[in-house]
Amino acid sequence: MGKGPESVADEATPTMTSLAGALLGTLRLAFVVVRLNDPDGGPAVETMRTDTSTEGTASDLSLASARLDVRGELGIVVAGARRLEFPTPTDTLVLEMAAKQAGTALQQIRRLTTELRRTEQALLESQRQSMPLLDNIPGLAAILTPAGEVDNVNTELVDYCGQPLDVMKQWGTNGTVHSEDLPHVAQVFGQAIASGEPYDFEARIRRFDGVYRWLQVRGLPLRGRNGDIVRWYVLLTDVDDRKQAEESLRKSEHQLRLLVDTIPALVWRGTPEGDLDYLNQRAVEYLGYSAQSLTGGRWLELVHPDHRETTIQRWLQSAATGSPYDDVYQLRRADGQYRWIRSVGQPLRDSDARIVHWYGLVIDIENRKRAEDELRRSEAFLAQAQRLTLTGSLWWDVSTGGVTWSEETFRVMDVPRTVTPTLELALSRVHPDDLALVRAMVDRSASEGANLECEPRLLMSDGTVKHVHVVLQNAGLESGKPRFVGAVTDITERKRAEAELRRAYDHLTEAQQLSQTGSFSADLETNEHYWSEEFYRICEFAPGSRITIRRLADIVHPDDVPLYESAIERAMAGTEPEFYFRIVTGRGIVKYLRGFAHPIAGRPVFVGAIQDVTAGKMAQEALSKAGAELAQVSRITTLNAWTASIAHEVNQPLSGIITNAGTCVRMLNAVPPDIDGARETAKRTIRDGNRAADVIARLRALFDKRDFTREPMNLTEAVREVIALSANDLQRNRIVVRSELADDLPLVTGDRIQLQQVIFNLLRNASDAMVDVRDRPRQLLVRTTREDGHSIRVTVRDTGVGLAADSSGSLFDAFYTTKSGGMGIGLFVSRSIIENHHGRLWAEPNQGPGATFSFSVPVAE
Amino acid sequence: MTDRRQMVSVVDDSDSVRESLPDLVREFGFDSRAFSSAEEFLASGTAGETNCLILDVGLPGMSGPDLQQELKRLGLSIPIVFITAQGDAALRPRLVALGAVACLFKPFNDEALLDAINLALRMR
Repeated sequence: MGKGPESVADEATPTMTSLAGALLGTLRLAFVVVRLNDPDGGPAVETMRTDTSTEGTASDLSLASARLDVRGELGIVVAGARRLEFPTPTDTLVLEMAAKQAGTALQQIRRLTTELRRTEQALLESQRQSMPLLDNIPGLAAILTPAGEVDNVNTELVDYCGQPLDVMKQWGTNGTVHSEDLPHVAQVFGQAIASGEPYDFEARIRRFDGVYRWLQVRGLPLRGRNGDIVRWYVLLTDVDDRKQAEESLRKSEHQLRLLVDTIPALVWRGTPEGDLDYLNQRAVEYLGYSAQSLTGGRWLELVHPDHRETTIQRWLQSAATGSPYDDVYQLRRADGQYRWIRSVGQPLRDSDARIVHWYGLVIDIENRKRAEDELRRSEAFLAQAQRLTLTGSLWWDVSTGGVTWSEETFRVMDVPRTVTPTLELALSRVHPDDLALVRAMVDRSASEGANLECEPRLLMSDGTVKHVHVVLQNAGLESGKPRFVGAVTDITERKRAEAELRRAYDHLTEAQQLSQTGSFSADLETNEHYWSEEFYRICEFAPGSRITIRRLADIVHPDDVPLYESAIERAMAGTEPEFYFRIVTGRGIVKYLRGFAHPIAGRPVFVGAIQDVTAGKMAQEALSKAGAELAQVSRITTLNAWTASIAHEVNQPLSGIITNAGTCVRMLNAVPPDIDGARETAKRTIRDGNRAADVIARLRALFDKRDFTREPMNLTEAVREVIALSANDLQRNRIVVRSELADDLPLVTGDRIQLQQVIFNLLRNASDAMVDVRDRPRQLLVRTTREDGHSIRVTVRDTGVGLAADSSGSLFDAFYTTKSGGMGIGLFVSRSIIENHHGRLWAEPNQGPGATFSFSVPVAE
Repeated sequence: MTDRRQMVSVVDDSDSVRESLPDLVREFGFDSRAFSSAEEFLASGTAGETNCLILDVGLPGMSGPDLQQELKRLGLSIPIVFITAQGDAALRPRLVALGAVACLFKPFNDEALLDAINLALRMR
């Protein structure tokens, strides 16, 4: 529009617009146009309003108009409506009334505007001579041309700058404005002049004394009637003091901010309602969010989900009541890690005690928390360790008499935790027998600060006795005041174990002595050897003297050195742990050692035991000698028995021979001689002679081979012979012999005489066992059978007195006998004979009365 | 000698003795029968007509002395001459004490036997 504020259009438009609006609404018009003419012949002013709600084509419109004044030179109102009846008389009346009223108002406006324009004109004229007026302004002022050149300045400004107008006109180049501010000034100023907009800037202007001071410079354009800028009025205000104040305030604020941002703390501020509204830089860095992005309660999203609810409750509680805030929870740090923090806050109140702000700190206690956890854990470990080792710790400050016990100490002393520990309490637990000694030691520690260590007994309230180990160490040496840190360990179990061990050791030593067994361990790598006392005694070394492998090797019997070396080799290899060798002691006594040794996993260390078997060895030799002698005795005894049998056996045919011979002689001497009878008796004589010869032949077979010889033999035949030899004996004892002898048995290898001796022995034993049997038949069953293909079994079964219940183990021992006349060597010898034949001999009770003795020997190969 | 020849019985389990002894006894002029066991002798019914018994000590089953006791028990007082192949000197007085006429150790000669038989027959 380009019109000045005083133009008619500007002034009239609001009136025209409201008129148009009122008509549009009242008459339900489609549009209204108000036109106002310019009496000076300028362009007319028009305002148009339309109702967008009524739609349609131009042809629907009915138009009506009204003049703003009687003659219509002022202007006109044109109205259009989409109503067929428009304009009704009412419409016309309203339209004219409104137009008339608006016309009156617009005429007034036009008149006023014209007057204003004239006044303006006059004012402009007066300004041309306005210097005195400018000088009257209380302040620094200047007038510029529309192009921005200095037209005039008031005296006060001249005085302020100490420069005449001419110089002032050159302000842009002569240093009037501080060089640092000049670019900014030039830009703002240039833009304002170009656009004609008022300007306002601050710049440092050089005062008369050469000091640059901050001035606020405000420029307002003065426009002429046509809107062109006529003048610029410039007002300058010295704001240096304010500026300084501002600067210092800004500085102090900066300092404060710096302080807040620099202090190693996370600072927050909240609104009275409880929302976050500020975080210091550290807090922003810590959380990774600015305060703005966390407002509206969004900071709660950083709280660990597990703590969120309680955190909200506590904070709202504080915010609602204004009570100081203090909470501990886990908060997510910028790196995503949840950290334990403590958040504290205090409200700041105004003079009416209303909360202005909440100020607070967030303290990262993660490390402390961890340290606390660690401490708790280590305390738990310690308590556990004390518990396990039955060791309590204690603290005693002599000067104050203060005593502190750990939990385990209470337990060891059997004192309830609620009791305050004292030295006297501790001493009251000491066993009366040990009290004097302990008290003396404690007194010495208290007076001299001497460390203490003792193992007194405690007498518990239930009468049991505990052994404890007590250690007190002076921890206050440098201060000169004894303060003791110590430990008390329940060693009852250890003491018991020690006693047990000692007893076990004593037992072992005794047992080793009794069994003449020594034990040892030998480390070949370090040549370290442990020998039990008995080992020393066996070797006849001085007790406790140093043992080496060499030293033992030196006393090994010269013939047994290879055995000894092989024993060590085998022990090292862990194979065949048993060994035998002889040693010759310092006194020249030969001892037989038997032992075993095995290595300890993977090291050249072995442990073992060694036994002095000399006596046993001697006894064994003596026994085998005795056995040999006994066998001889047995053989003689048997021979005696056999001799009787042989005599009986030979006497029978002999008796026949003599009788026959006697008969024969008598028959020949008879008258007449009985020749036939004599011949008959002579024949019988020959037959009996042959019978006797048979007996002799059998005897020769028995006695020819006196030494042990091995030959294939038929066991059944041998049995048959023995039965024949024993028949008389058995008959005399009224024993019925039944034999079940197998004739098709394979041969066995053995000494016929010895095996027959065994059979004979078994038959005689069976016979003896039945001597006293009177209530049942005395039956003897002799049987030979083949046993599982590899051996022949001979069984002798009687119906005698049987075996004593507990005798089966000792039956075969030498001198074991149940017979009053026996020597008890029969079965012993028999068994040794059978064993020599790689067979076995055994006895078993019968189902009915009596016993069965059997032996089996292998079939010949 | 009388009308009826005296009966001398022999009990012995040895073949040689049973074969030879009855012939010799008959040569002495007696009647003779031989038995191999005491049981056989008792069962034969000969005991009643036997005037003298020549009895082996070691018989299987019932022994010589057992038979001696058994005959006593039956009330038959037959004079007995024991014979034995067992050279046990202690045996003889024991048997004699029990009522035997004599005890001969095998082998014995014909005179000793005849003396013993005559002694036995005289005791009747």
